[in-house]
Amino acid sequence: MYFDLDDEQRDLAAAARDFLSSSASPAAARAALEADSAEIRPGRVELVKSGFATITVPEQAGGGGGSVLDLAVVAEQAGRVLAGPSLVTFARAAVLLDGHDDRLAALADGSLAVAVVDGGPVLDAVGADTFLAMRGDDLVIGSGSVGTREPIDPTRGLGDVELGDVEVLETGAAERWARAERVARTVLAAEGLGAAARALEIGVDYTKERHAFGRPIGSYQAVKHALVDVYVEVEQLRSLVWWAAWAADHAPDELRIASAAAKAAAATTLERAAETLIQVHGGIGFTWEHDAHLYWRRAKVDRLLLGDDVAAYDEVARLALEDAR
Amino acid sequence: MDFDDTPDEAAWRAKVRSFIEEHRDQLGSRADQRGFDDTVSRQRQALMYDAGYVGVTWPVEAGGRGGTPMQQSIIDQEMARAGVPGLINLIGIGMCGPTVIYHGSDDQKERYLKRLLRADDIWCQLFSEPASGSDLAALRTKAVRDDEGNWRISGQKVWTTLAHLADYGILLTRTDPDVAKHRGLTMFVVDMKAPGVTVRPLRQMSGGSDFNEVFFDDVVIPDSERLGDVGDGWRTALTTLMSERMTLGGGGTSIGVSVERVAEHVAERIGELSEARQALARQDFGRAYVASLGIRYTGYRLLTAVSQGQLPGPEASAGKLAGTKAARDLADLAVRLLGDDAVYAGTGDGGVSWQDLQAVLPGMAIAGGTDEVLHNIIGERVLGLPPEPRADKDKTFRELAAAGA
Repeated sequence: MYFDLDDEQRDLAAAARDFLSSSASPAAARAALEADSAEIRPGRVELVKSGFATITVPEQAGGGGGSVLDLAVVAEQAGRVLAGPSLVTFARAAVLLDGHDDRLAALADGSLAVAVVDGGPVLDAVGADTFLAMRGDDLVIGSGSVGTREPIDPTRGLGDVELGDVEVLETGAAERWARAERVARTVLAAEGLGAAARALEIGVDYTKERHAFGRPIGSYQAVKHALVDVYVEVEQLRSLVWWAAWAADHAPDELRIASAAAKAAAATTLERAAETLIQVHGGIGFTWEHDAHLYWRRAKVDRLLLGDDVAAYDEVARLALEDAR
Repeated sequence: MDFDDTPDEAAWRAKVRSFIEEHRDQLGSRADQRGFDDTVSRQRQALMYDAGYVGVTWPVEAGGRGGTPMQQSIIDQEMARAGVPGLINLIGIGMCGPTVIYHGSDDQKERYLKRLLRADDIWCQLFSEPASGSDLAALRTKAVRDDEGNWRISGQKVWTTLAHLADYGILLTRTDPDVAKHRGLTMFVVDMKAPGVTVRPLRQMSGGSDFNEVFFDDVVIPDSERLGDVGDGWRTALTTLMSERMTLGGGGTSIGVSVERVAEHVAERIGELSEARQALARQDFGRAYVASLGIRYTGYRLLTAVSQGQLPGPEASAGKLAGTKAARDLADLAVRLLGDDAVYAGTGDGGVSWQDLQAVLPGMAIAGGTDEVLHNIIGERVLGLPPEPRADKDKTFRELAAAGA
């Protein structure tokens, strides 16, 4: 057994951090919130150009030929800086388009701006020109019109999509759709992991500096223990994300429960991390200027994507109970 | 990243598994109360030791096998899988033994270690006192050197698991009250059958009696039973506590409660609830189950780190914190699902396991580092947050004791 990243994955994480921290930031997320016209950073074009977005696309189609775990490692870094569009969208499309090398090549060279439609508000609908969806048991692809409303978290590019002309890409695609959704949940959890870990860091740093009653507030157990609770959850989440990503690559039988567990834990953990971040900052944490609410916005939206946390916990319970019968 | 056994590990697992299968009856079962009888427990440990499955990570010269943490973990997994009760001398193996290995004399190692591993002798750890629990360095039990060079011990220890069965204990004492409190400590091996040692079982809130108070009334300990230098007991104790971390903190095995058993219980009972209550129960179960998975896989990370040669650091405390919470949540759900039986100490058909578990778990948040102390350890040593200001800095133990602290 070796349950840790290897050196290559650590290098990948470092490279992703370099790229993402210079091309996206909470400040960019705030700008997107303030002006409709502001672009989500790094944006589709830059993400595709970096190669990180299409890590899981096979090499012969112009992608990175990497694993879901590789992508999860990158997604954690994307989550730290609230990057958009989501790597979830690319990962999901890579599964749905697998075998259609021309489409995959278009995804990898940036000429295909895709979003995946599953009924509710659509992640990364903003800026997408091609949509993937299920019609009955068939996977379809085609155009659509996007209706947007005032977002809570603009980096998620959410919109309501009405499909236009579509063609059937594959009949009887339910299994593929399910796998794509599970991979998507895994990558979403990885982004949540990065956001939660970063929120914790910001909170810890502040409570070391901020003084009250003559000492750093991080020395008070009430504050310290709240941050430790976040730390413990973040580390458990990291384990679940790695397990789910590993399962996506190597153990399809475990992917369903692992991805549901990761999705559920990410929702709970990021929410706690973001709310703790606000709380330990006091008044400044509640201001528009501070980054805390940008993580909080991410938390409040992400928990409801790809099925909400309640549904994910329920799915884990059902699977575990089925197993126990 | 992989979860597969290496060829060596697979061979080891097969060996362990076939040993357990072969000795199924002698090893006993967790489902059978007799499996926890102390004579039976000693026999089980001796049987396992003689076969080479106790203390595998210990050095060969200490009676161990010089094996890997992964091998030990495989034994733990296979014992859990087969429902074999744990080893009686777990505190000895996890805490007392390693302290003797690091700080004991050759003579002590020779006399104690192999017998400890075989459960020929049972060991206990005599640290906590009525006035010093989390604040261990505030302990008062006195050790004074007499004219013959022996040490005379007076004082009281408490919450001492297994003391009522123990042959030996590691004992932390105060040898110098006139220095800062954690500087004046010294550790010894004490013969629990020596004159002046009185053990009184304490009854826990659960009704059981696993722990004790231990009184020392002018007990004589030869200087040759000292562990580490005089005044160096704090550092010696840190060895013990670091070993404890690995025992309590993880390795990927569940603590306190088997999530699989809870799952079976929930699966069996949930149908008795209304649809609406089923949804609530599934939500509770799903949350606790996800927490258990998180703990299991975080344990695998710890095990990986240890097998790569890293020492378990303070972050291992997170496993105990999370494990305690998950165990309590699982037990709570399990008890609720008993319906009307949940208000009684047992079910109509005589089952007591869930109610017993419910009554045992509050202790888990206290033993081996309270939740609050573990929060402080992680906050300060992992996150780097500043400690609380302390009122006991720059004062000798005598000054603190005089002030009633």
